[in-house]
Amino acid sequence: MTGAWKKYRIPYLFISPFFVLFLVFQLIPVVWTLYISFTEWNGLGKPVWVGWDNYRLMAQDYMVSDALRNTVVYWISGVAIILLLALLIALSLNSPRLRFKRFFKTTTFLPYVCASVAMGLIFGMLFDENAGLINEILAALGGPRVPWLTKSAFAKIPVVILFTWRIIPWFTIILLSGLLNISREYYEAATVDGAGTWRQFFSITLPLLRHIMFFCMLTITVDTWKMFNEPYILAGPGSSNTSLFQLMYQYAFQTFKLGYASALSVILIVILLSISVAQFVIRRRQGEV
Amino acid sequence: MKKTLVALLLTAALLVPLSAGGSKEAGKGPGGSKVYPEGDILIWATGQPQFRKMYYQAFLDRHRDIAPKVNIEVVSLKTMAEGQQKLAMYALSGDYKSLPEVIMLDTVGVVELSTAGLLQDVTDYYNKIADQFVDGAVADSTVKGRIFGLPDAVRPQLLYYNVPILKKYGIDPAGMSTFDGYYQAGRQLKEKSGGEVFLSYVDPGNWTWRYWGRRGLMPQAGARIWDDQGNIVIGSDPGTKLALNFFDKLNTEGLLYKTRMMQQPIYEATDSGKIATFYIGAHWAEFMRKNLTRTAGEWRVMNAPVFKEVGKGGAPVSTFFCLVDTKTNEYTELFKMLWYDFQTNIDLRNAWVAEMEKLKGPYSNPVSKAMLAHPFWQEPSPFFDGQSFRKAEGDGLANPSKNMMVTASDAEADIIISAELEKYIAGEQSMTQAIAAMDRELKLKVKKAKLP
Amino acid sequence: MMARRSSLHSALLHGFMLLVALVCIFPVLWMSLIALKTVGERVTGFHALTISQPTLENFRRLFTLIPLWSNLFNSLFTTIVGTGTTLFFCSLAGFAFAKYRFPGRNGLFYFVIATMMISAEAGAIPLFIIMRRLNLINSLWSLIIPRIATAVGIFYLRQYILDVPDELIEAARIDGAGDFGIFRRIVLPNIKPALASWASITAIVRWNDFFWPLLFLNKNSKYTLMVSVSMLPVSDGLATPWPIILAGTTLVILPAVLYYLGMQIFQKSGSFAGAVKG
Repeated sequence: MTGAWKKYRIPYLFISPFFVLFLVFQLIPVVWTLYISFTEWNGLGKPVWVGWDNYRLMAQDYMVSDALRNTVVYWISGVAIILLLALLIALSLNSPRLRFKRFFKTTTFLPYVCASVAMGLIFGMLFDENAGLINEILAALGGPRVPWLTKSAFAKIPVVILFTWRIIPWFTIILLSGLLNISREYYEAATVDGAGTWRQFFSITLPLLRHIMFFCMLTITVDTWKMFNEPYILAGPGSSNTSLFQLMYQYAFQTFKLGYASALSVILIVILLSISVAQFVIRRRQGEV
Repeated sequence: MKKTLVALLLTAALLVPLSAGGSKEAGKGPGGSKVYPEGDILIWATGQPQFRKMYYQAFLDRHRDIAPKVNIEVVSLKTMAEGQQKLAMYALSGDYKSLPEVIMLDTVGVVELSTAGLLQDVTDYYNKIADQFVDGAVADSTVKGRIFGLPDAVRPQLLYYNVPILKKYGIDPAGMSTFDGYYQAGRQLKEKSGGEVFLSYVDPGNWTWRYWGRRGLMPQAGARIWDDQGNIVIGSDPGTKLALNFFDKLNTEGLLYKTRMMQQPIYEATDSGKIATFYIGAHWAEFMRKNLTRTAGEWRVMNAPVFKEVGKGGAPVSTFFCLVDTKTNEYTELFKMLWYDFQTNIDLRNAWVAEMEKLKGPYSNPVSKAMLAHPFWQEPSPFFDGQSFRKAEGDGLANPSKNMMVTASDAEADIIISAELEKYIAGEQSMTQAIAAMDRELKLKVKKAKLP
Repeated sequence: MMARRSSLHSALLHGFMLLVALVCIFPVLWMSLIALKTVGERVTGFHALTISQPTLENFRRLFTLIPLWSNLFNSLFTTIVGTGTTLFFCSLAGFAFAKYRFPGRNGLFYFVIATMMISAEAGAIPLFIIMRRLNLINSLWSLIIPRIATAVGIFYLRQYILDVPDELIEAARIDGAGDFGIFRRIVLPNIKPALASWASITAIVRWNDFFWPLLFLNKNSKYTLMVSVSMLPVSDGLATPWPIILAGTTLVILPAVLYYLGMQIFQKSGSFAGAVKG
């Protein structure tokens, strides 16, 4: 045993910082959260054990179902919009026909370096119902003034726009790196075989990008489920665009219901874990991992 | 000329630390004169506490004999609720070192934090000097007969109106002394201006509940969320119906311009003459002075309208400086002196206020009787068409409504109630449905209010 | 025929990219423009697009509202030290996962990837108490230490280290180099492009960090620039005009943009390829 330890000491030592930090700053807090979720606690005094009460209340709380629905909308629309646009932009940037490449690359990556907190303030103004530039433009074009952040039906749109605006560049570079990595020879061979642009895209580009796309999907999933800044700053009426994580924050830091907030955290963790497990299982079944 | 004079006075006070003893000053309240150890007095406050720091730091500079190496550090908090929660978290983690010496709180915070034993009891200190301050100054910081906060300001609900607009449409401000008259004024404005001018504003978010509801119409209508035992009564309470149905009338008849509170568009709409009046707290004057340019000098203030059925004026909002129990409490007495000086040192306080006017910083009326009686506090305000805003602020405290009962469940109730009101403003439910939903959701999530 | 189709294609392509570029730049330009407006000038609707008297007064006012220099220092410190430490520890772990065989390696690696799915934010409440026990409240290290070895970083750098030829490592070992020596002299120099890209990304994320500093820091002088700026706008007693707030956001965004333009992060985008080839 000590022999084995001696032999493998170095790699274990090299990877140990991650595991120590994970234990202290993630695992213990999560387990602790699990415990708090079964109590009633306002942060002062001692937590009182209440069993499943918090979870039962959650089932009846329309804010929770709203937040859950909103987050699912952010997730699905996020994955669809981000992957589609990032792929389109990456393909365009990779196109040999595109001129001024340097300029386009520089500008399209710009949003990612901008802090979401700062941009949230700006988007809030752009989407203002009466005074925002966006409605002003719509009105100038003869369109209606849209109650972007003042009607539940529209309130999620600015949030999705801000979120995707800021994060698409990140996925654009990842996809672009993937594209650059595909050997020219594949395309040359395909051209010789008489395959058109579309055929090449569907039979070469997409299949070779699938690992990257999967990686992107996972990252977007985590990012959307823990979305906070965007809906927090661009708040719509009631819980019309509240995200699940934001609701957790609200219950914890604004109304001091730490037990209930922890129960929401637990749900969030369970959902994230199930999604990732499901995604891995599906891919494994398809023999891709 | 006068302004220059007070500014000079202030500069002198800031620059020339008085020689040992400082006995000439009024700033020496009951508190003793031991020498305080080196360090910072950490103060958490909302608003722009850096302006208050100017006064406090100058006070310390004048008292280097007893506080040779003490300085003020202020932390600006977004809301009082945030400070309250942060304080609770620090105390919970046992981190007394990071606790502030002083925190600015409203009633909700005083109730919650004193119940948790985090605030120092200042009953004995305050009672000795209570006769120097306006009556009821500590009413909202008294929990079970003990006082947990030193009064910083008691500010009334007021009605601000734009004189030229009302004149243009032939509306007599005196008519707005009742809510019925206020409503009639709104209808006239709408009709005569062809819908161009609105009576007031409505915020699509949670400011509507805060300003129109909790601090405005609700207490004036005698509305209740809870009864005295903490049972939820909002759904059946006649006061709630009176308050919210009146708001409903203003809103459904299109008398309120929908725009976000405290943001540039509301100031621009106001400056362009779209909004004729504001029914809101005295603190709004600071926001107007700072953000309105074109309509500066066109505004006046009067007491808030009253419901004829109830006959009570606006409810005051009190803020307190509370001494946190940091276990060591080394600067407790020093801060009391500081607070006392700010409230009673007429010359320096007036000089500071004049400076605030110049810097467009915030300030409020004092709570000491002697200072309020000083002519400085009757001076005309250029922003308010020559009317004395300071005097109007004092007058606004007459015939006050009682504030709504505050329990430890009110922070949560605010979120629940506001969410329903927001859906109402978005046009997604009627006011009757909204009130029923408030009642239902409160009963589901709060069940019964936690009384202090 | 072919030529016409091709020029149509080219026009579409450039049209699309111009639109994308416009959408990307516009909000930032708009913000910078308003930051230069005098307080009181109209900023709503189309008024936002004109400017009569550009001024730097708003930036000057910022200095009276927040302790700008110490906030800037705090942001720079957490960004630079945070990025440096994270690069070191992530590549160290990535090296172990890529080039060593040891029991449980694959299992542990999958575990690392799986942890990407848990957000540390979910445990925010207890985390605060832990930070206190570690005496890290109000310390900039509270923002650095928890993330000196992140799952994404390890995953990313491991992919590159896999490409470092084993022969190089073996040769160094034969020459008597120790494990850490190999890491320092063979591995790190060979993955420089990857380190550079990862550093850029990490630095931006750290600079823009908001939630954690808000939770762990409670003194004006300890705040990062992001927190200070976020506190500029609305609150009970604060009525900061929009041009001043936007001067603040400009100030917080500007260093990131300049850094980005200077480093030309995107231009080296090829170096991101390995990250995801699985």
